[in-house]
Amino acid sequence: MLTVTDVRISYGQAEVVHGVSFAVEEGECVALIGPNGAGKSTILKAICGLLRPSAGDIVFDGRSVAGLPGHEVARRGIAMCPEGRQMFPEMTVMENLKLGAYRRRSESITPEIDEMMELFPRLRERSTQMAGTLSGGEQEMVAIARALMAKPKLCIFDEPSLGIAPKVVDEIEETLIKIKGLGVTILLVEQAVSMALRVADRAYVLEAGEVVTAGTSQEMSNDPRVQSAYLGA
Amino acid sequence: MLVDLIQQLFNGLVIGSIYTLVALGLTIIFGILGIAHFAHGSVAMFGGYLTFFFIQSLGIGLFPSMALAMVAGALLGVILERVAYHPVRNAPPINAFIIALGLTLIIEKSNLILFGVDQVIIPTGFDRVFEIGGVTFPELRVYILVIAAVLVIALTILIQKTWMGMAVRAVAQNRPAAILMGINVDAVSMFVFGLSSALGVAAGVLVGALFAVAPGVSSGLVVKGFAVLILGGLGSIPGAIIGGLLLGVSETFATAFISSAYKDVIAFLLMIGVLLFKPEGLMRRSATR
Repeated sequence: MLTVTDVRISYGQAEVVHGVSFAVEEGECVALIGPNGAGKSTILKAICGLLRPSAGDIVFDGRSVAGLPGHEVARRGIAMCPEGRQMFPEMTVMENLKLGAYRRRSESITPEIDEMMELFPRLRERSTQMAGTLSGGEQEMVAIARALMAKPKLCIFDEPSLGIAPKVVDEIEETLIKIKGLGVTILLVEQAVSMALRVADRAYVLEAGEVVTAGTSQEMSNDPRVQSAYLGA
Repeated sequence: MLVDLIQQLFNGLVIGSIYTLVALGLTIIFGILGIAHFAHGSVAMFGGYLTFFFIQSLGIGLFPSMALAMVAGALLGVILERVAYHPVRNAPPINAFIIALGLTLIIEKSNLILFGVDQVIIPTGFDRVFEIGGVTFPELRVYILVIAAVLVIALTILIQKTWMGMAVRAVAQNRPAAILMGINVDAVSMFVFGLSSALGVAAGVLVGALFAVAPGVSSGLVVKGFAVLILGGLGSIPGAIIGGLLLGVSETFATAFISSAYKDVIAFLLMIGVLLFKPEGLMRRSATR
């Protein structure tokens, strides 16, 4: 479904991603893990069309999306739940959800709204409240629901646990597993490695702009290097 | 005294509704692109001249002429966005600032070349005067108020209720997130410039009917427009509506009850007061993000 081949990305003169390749198959949940500054978010920005890779190719659904403008990528069916939630702060929760379905604006979106309210009952109570006034955990739920409203072929989650109270992180983990159960193809980027490995089928470990190891989540959890570096074993 | 008060309130609301139309365009453009579009007043005057030209030369009525001029203004706005502002959208803001000043001169001088140096008054034929309990309501002023109200309500519905309006607000509040939703930010920018310029032209026509279309009027309009933005809050639509009416009414009161020499002093006093005590503007909550 998504194939990233030897992608290099630079900020000005400085290359920060040095030829990264990975793939996400349909129905799979793949995690991209690694420390701060490994280039995870940069790669996601390139996939979503917010950055143009300097080399390599990104193929989604059989067609290259490398260098396409961001809104075109979104219209092809990649939805992103971005780091830091990125609410539309002065719009209501309901409006935020509707905007998630912007690419399907000619269709009726009421069934999906109901579905999201089922998935996150707390959003129903908050539906007329401004998104900017919600707590971090609630905003994360809006961000997840907003991404799902697009009915995406691929849903990307960028650090959904970042800056969220530990108790709510457990909730988010459960939610991700639930979403996976719905058959949504997921690319999950996380620093909370143990959580990511519990949710994902496979994982790639990224360090300093390169993939250093990859395998099934089981293999990664048992890998001594991953254990010592990320799992505190 | 009460009659006087109501009379001046009415007059103030009429002027204020024109300020609101000017400020609405400026505030939406500022909200989306962060640009102080100084040429807005010249675009308004261009529309005023054009309406006069349509009425005089083509012999079509006021409202069709005004509608045509608004369409022409919208096109001009889209062209300005594409040709002038779009190329510098990622450059430091000073670039757009300098371009805005340059555009103001270019359009102002183009108006002189196209339409001449004479001031023109747009003929409306609305010469009747109604009187209710000693308060006079000239027909033209009533129409101005009604036209402005219709446009403001239409704009509010457009921005609040339609997908395009939601897209406009989304881009203003969080540009990268808007892109992730599949919103074409370039298309939204063009739409906003078209819409704002059409509103500006409407304001220009109303000014031309009430006072005159003339060289030099545009700068006054823009200054008042930005004063309203400061009063109401940059980028705020309710702020532009309330701010415009407030400025119009306070100016009219100052003229009527103090002296016309103090008209502009009041505008600036209001601005200074807001900047001192509520710098985010009357209709903007502080620290919302």
